[in-house]
Amino acid sequence: MMVSMNSETSRQIARGIAGALLLAAIWELSARGLKLPAYVLPSVSSILSGMVSDAGNLFAAAQFTAAEALAGYAVGCLIGMAAAVLITMIPAARAVVLPLATAINSVPVVAYSPLVLLWFGMGMASKIVMVAIAVSFTIFLSTIAGLDRVDRRSVDLIRSFGASRLAVLWRLRLPTALPLIIAGMRVSTVRSVLVAIVTEMLGAYGGLGWVIYQAVLQIDFVKVWAAIIVASAISLAFFGAISFIERRYVFWK
Amino acid sequence: MSGIKASAASLPVFSTGRVYAAIKPILWLTLGLAVIEATVVLFEIRPYYLPRPSAIAANIVATPGAYISGLWRTVLETALGFVAGSVFGVAIAIVFHRWTLLRELFFPLFVVSQTIPVIAFGAVVVLWFGNTLFAKAVISFYISFLPVTVNTLLGFNSVDPRQVQLMRSFGAKDGQILRRIYLPAALPQLFVALKLASSLALVGAIVGEWFGDTTGLGVLLLQAMYNENVVGIWATIVVSACLGMGLYSLVALAERRIVFWGNEQ
Repeated sequence: MMVSMNSETSRQIARGIAGALLLAAIWELSARGLKLPAYVLPSVSSILSGMVSDAGNLFAAAQFTAAEALAGYAVGCLIGMAAAVLITMIPAARAVVLPLATAINSVPVVAYSPLVLLWFGMGMASKIVMVAIAVSFTIFLSTIAGLDRVDRRSVDLIRSFGASRLAVLWRLRLPTALPLIIAGMRVSTVRSVLVAIVTEMLGAYGGLGWVIYQAVLQIDFVKVWAAIIVASAISLAFFGAISFIERRYVFWK
Repeated sequence: MSGIKASAASLPVFSTGRVYAAIKPILWLTLGLAVIEATVVLFEIRPYYLPRPSAIAANIVATPGAYISGLWRTVLETALGFVAGSVFGVAIAIVFHRWTLLRELFFPLFVVSQTIPVIAFGAVVVLWFGNTLFAKAVISFYISFLPVTVNTLLGFNSVDPRQVQLMRSFGAKDGQILRRIYLPAALPQLFVALKLASSLALVGAIVGEWFGDTTGLGVLLLQAMYNENVVGIWATIVVSACLGMGLYSLVALAERRIVFWGNEQ
């Protein structure tokens, strides 16, 4: 990006990096200095070397989890947005659907995972379904909130120029809603990786959650931490990608 | 007797609307359950996919002990983690607000740590704190304090600096300014985070129980899954759903009471 950085932001970036290095140094020193056993806290260097020596395995698991999270995320976003648009077009359905969706959204998503595992099996399908469920509710609620944000008078104005319901939606409601929709999408990135990993822990043939679960059983805590770091890297990259799209394309706000 | 009659007679005069408003959700719920029950019976849907609501209710009534003790355990873990997380979240926000250096050093790390699938830590936390109620509360705590910190800081930033200057010119101390200006200003944003944190804390508690425990809703879910007991899974989902909605409405109720001036974003 060719944005000229002022001294304020560059200082903040420098301090952020300093903070990360400081944390890593404290971690390394306390793990080594106090001679903490690996099951309590492995040192940063041993986690990194564990990652390098187990790179192939971790990479395959990461691909598996990322594919599940991405597929579920895409399906969930589409369902959530489509449902929200549909509800806005049919105001009568709103009074019933909206309280119901808010209520279902406050139910812990992970509670469904045993059921989904039984229905869709141990493979990728069950994780994709779980991620789609988790993502679609968030996207649905934030899209509804966004579509409602539009000024009543603007709607009346373009309706008076003869715009159809569809045109109002396309030209007015969606652009107004987009900042909130993409904010929901940004939050959902992290959630999608998390739900994929949690579901993998319950039962899977591969993926980071499965690696973590196996490593716990084998009491291999360097591997647990290595998988945690890989998982964080995936969600950070995903989060960064959506934030980048947000800054790039949703310039009005 | 006459007293009861009199009060019963005077009741509907002023509160028909209110009684209807209270009953309405229950009516809808009953209707919805009846429709599901009828659909399952009519289309002969196998219990493996969707058991009859009455079978789920019967399952809960048949063994109430397991559900009540599981619910109680999970409530304790969630409540402990949620309260500790909220208090810590606000405290960290105050520290970050006071000392800019600390904020700039560590706040980016906090934001990055928000993208870490916290659940992955579950195994490590259970190892650190043993297989206790406390370990699950720690997971709930960790998962719920970050949104609270982020939103409290957002709320602090919305304060008009001129208000602070005015208070200072009257000789107000830092503590007074915090109590009278910053905290009230942060409340609307704080409650948005608290509602999110309440459901996150519940997720943390349930998943925490998966790493090995003997009671709790998460344990009931696992046991029902291993036995392919679909009715049991549904029963536990219903109980978890009630708990999740109950927590959410408690926080929402507190919000309406405390932030009476409304939630302007």
